[in-house]
Amino acid sequence: MTAGSWLCLLAPLGGTILITLLGTRISRVAAAWIATTSVFVGFGGAVWAFAAMLSRQPESRSEITTAWTWLQSGSFKVGLELLVDPLSVVMMLIVSGVGGLIVLYSIGYMDGDDEERRYFAYISFFVFSMLLLVEGGNLLMLLVGWGLVGLSSYLLIGFWHDRPSAVQAAKKAFIMNAFGDATMALAFFILIAHTNSLSFATDFNAHLSSSAANFVALGLLGGAVAKSAQIPLQTWLPDAMEGPTPVSALIHAATMVTAGVYLIARTYPLFEQARTIELLAAGTGALTLLVAGLIALVQTDIKKVIAYSTMSQIGYMFLGAGVGAYSSGMFHLMTHAFFKALLFMTAGLIIHAVANEQDIRKLRGIGQLMPFTKWCFLAGALALVGIPPFSGFFSKDPIISSAAALGTWYGWIFWVCGVAGAFLTGLYTFRLWFLLFPGEPTPFVREHYHDHHGREGAWTMLVPVGILAVLATFAGWLQWTPRWDPFTKWLEPAAPTLAAAIPTNTQEYYTSAAAVIAGLVGIGLAWVIYSEQRIAIPAAPFWRRLFENKFYFDWLYDRIFYEPAVATANFLRRDFEDPVILQTGPDLGEATIETGGLVRRLQTGLLRTYVFFIAAGAAAVVLAFLIAR
Amino acid sequence: MNALVVATSAGNVLVWIVWVVAGFSCLAAGVAVISFSNPFMSALALIGNLASLAVMYLLLSAEFVAAAQVLVYAGAVVVMFLFVIGYVGPRHETPWSGGPGWQSVAAVGAAAALLVEIVVAIGLEAGGSLSHSGEVGAAFGSPAWIGRVFLVDHLLAFEITSIVLLVAAVGGVILGTHVRRQQGEEVPS
Amino acid sequence: MLGPGVAWYIAVAAFLFGIGALGVLIRRNTLVVLLSLELMLNAGNLALIAFSRHFHNGAGQIFALAVMAIAASEVCVGLGLVVALNRKQLSLDVDKLSELRG
Repeated sequence: MTAGSWLCLLAPLGGTILITLLGTRISRVAAAWIATTSVFVGFGGAVWAFAAMLSRQPESRSEITTAWTWLQSGSFKVGLELLVDPLSVVMMLIVSGVGGLIVLYSIGYMDGDDEERRYFAYISFFVFSMLLLVEGGNLLMLLVGWGLVGLSSYLLIGFWHDRPSAVQAAKKAFIMNAFGDATMALAFFILIAHTNSLSFATDFNAHLSSSAANFVALGLLGGAVAKSAQIPLQTWLPDAMEGPTPVSALIHAATMVTAGVYLIARTYPLFEQARTIELLAAGTGALTLLVAGLIALVQTDIKKVIAYSTMSQIGYMFLGAGVGAYSSGMFHLMTHAFFKALLFMTAGLIIHAVANEQDIRKLRGIGQLMPFTKWCFLAGALALVGIPPFSGFFSKDPIISSAAALGTWYGWIFWVCGVAGAFLTGLYTFRLWFLLFPGEPTPFVREHYHDHHGREGAWTMLVPVGILAVLATFAGWLQWTPRWDPFTKWLEPAAPTLAAAIPTNTQEYYTSAAAVIAGLVGIGLAWVIYSEQRIAIPAAPFWRRLFENKFYFDWLYDRIFYEPAVATANFLRRDFEDPVILQTGPDLGEATIETGGLVRRLQTGLLRTYVFFIAAGAAAVVLAFLIAR
Repeated sequence: MNALVVATSAGNVLVWIVWVVAGFSCLAAGVAVISFSNPFMSALALIGNLASLAVMYLLLSAEFVAAAQVLVYAGAVVVMFLFVIGYVGPRHETPWSGGPGWQSVAAVGAAAALLVEIVVAIGLEAGGSLSHSGEVGAAFGSPAWIGRVFLVDHLLAFEITSIVLLVAAVGGVILGTHVRRQQGEEVPS
Repeated sequence: MLGPGVAWYIAVAAFLFGIGALGVLIRRNTLVVLLSLELMLNAGNLALIAFSRHFHNGAGQIFALAVMAIAASEVCVGLGLVVALNRKQLSLDVDKLSELRG
């Protein structure tokens, strides 16, 4: 079991190192295949660990394996250790499996790019970092993985570094994540101070007072919110679409942004002791899912629509984890990985085929030219909206019903948010579908569409899309909480659902009904407005402006953080660095020369002056002697 | 001063008179040395200065040194000076013209400072070890005594002095010779 | 000791030294500078002899003799310089001999 997890972790790292060391000695395609193979080997390791875990009893499925002691300070020890338990194995499978498919897809997508080797080195490094995050046996290893995925995200968003917008987006992502890293570090400090340990094997609650637990949970929540792009730290995610589409699929849909949910599930005892903070997480999720859904209604770039959709769905996951239904949140994480990656990859097929155009207004009717893409996208879209029998239905509705199970006033608010979110999801998703696929292709499409040797893309791109389409359709059948729940049972030892959040069957049924109906209404409305065009889009200029400006978060952050920082930097540069620091060198030099010039005047060459100085010096010395006596 | 309280005997008064005359002429000659514009006159004034000093040495029971002073200084050094002055020729300088420049003022200041300090030092010491000199034996300052002290107690100083004299002699000769030019050009002497 | 105490002799030596210093600092003719230097040396000699008498120590007189010898050597070399300067037809004015000017 532990051997499998070490293999899973180290194989992608080996791929990165190999690609980096071989450099330009190997062809670009060879580098691509090295990366893909290493990630699939990692997947093999994950499967191996999973199989080994299956053969054990549920109580003994958790194991910490230590390589060596990494840090030691007095009695505080941190080891280089991995935790292999049901929760981490689920994440390992998702990360390496979906990751492997996406890296395979990248071979076709990035084909011909000048810096392909760098891309594949980065992306296998990312897979390694994410695996380190989910396999880490203590919070410090998790933080290392956390930071490294942030780094990989920065490197990959800014991959096309000659584009200023990409570089800006990369910086923005990194800086906002750094804020979350800081709050997490503060939480760790409190933990170390009170419990002298960061390992997941410790019972933190035994040593924490409730206020300390609140601060710890708040710090962890800060990190989770930054990483998962929830309000108020969500503005980096849409900008991150500057990176290549497979990067958006892997990092900003399937894996990295879900790390926050994983964190909450992993440290659930801490959160349950700080119940208020946990509910705050749920509230953040609920708010984000609505706001993101609204903004997605007015986006005109394919990838931005899907990005806001990601933001919204992670809001669902936060909602689930926040109310205590960790396994529901994780199950939605899994199905979301499938259908969101699918959506991004089909979008990538389109972008690749029409010379990198991403504006949906120009791409009407492309479904006629790309039928495979159309049907795969439809599968993903239906899964996203949560229509049975697609996977989203099985994973999203239990979250909403857990909110109802709470029974409190905020539980009902969350329920309403969840159902409203389902309506919005249907609306924006099928707005996208109806604007893109049905109907006659526009002249732009006819002019710029080019296929790949008769097919819609290379086989390396089509095969993963197909696999994910199948998964998006059928993976949900793993669990239907009223009747059968092997997934929840699997996660019991690692992240048991809070008792207050277990819905009754009745609650499940009517919630599902409400959500499905809301989704269908959304689809219907989208059909009426965008496909049939019987109703015009309502004007509502205030709302339109609000949504188009992304609820003015960017504007606000610009005023509060960016502009003062730039002003301060300019001020320091102009009034401090240039005159004081940079001038110090030349000033010292000039002062020395001036002093030299002054001293030079002593060298008159005249005998009398020299003698005078001797006499004056002698007088001074005698005076000194007199005084000393 | 304590010295005035000393009982006036004829010998004492005579010594005082000789001392006053010698001291006065010493200082006057010194002023003359620095004041004359003709260096020849300055050298002659130096002779007067040296003679007065010799007298004062005699008063201090340093007979050998007094003799050496007249022989070496007045007899050799001043003669050298006069010789070179004659060789160099008339160089008249007006030392006191043009008003005191800053160098002159500063020089006076420095010299005066030194002087004042020394006087103050003496004044401070007046109550101390400068008060009673006591008597010395008859042999003090005699040539035999000097010779013995010089060659027994301070042999190193003797030897070094002789080396310095040698070096100076060699230096003087080198500085004095003129370089002969090549190919029979007439050397200006 | 008959006559003035040692302090008087020291005072005379101090004045003589001052006069000599003044001469060195003010006069521009090299020869006169050398003469003034002799004054200063003699002043030092006088002080040495006086203290030797006062402390009954022979070292003062010995030192005075050595100073006399050194003074003679120094005059020899100095005058040699003057002669060399004269031969080069350079001025004997110390203010004009300033090639060491920095």
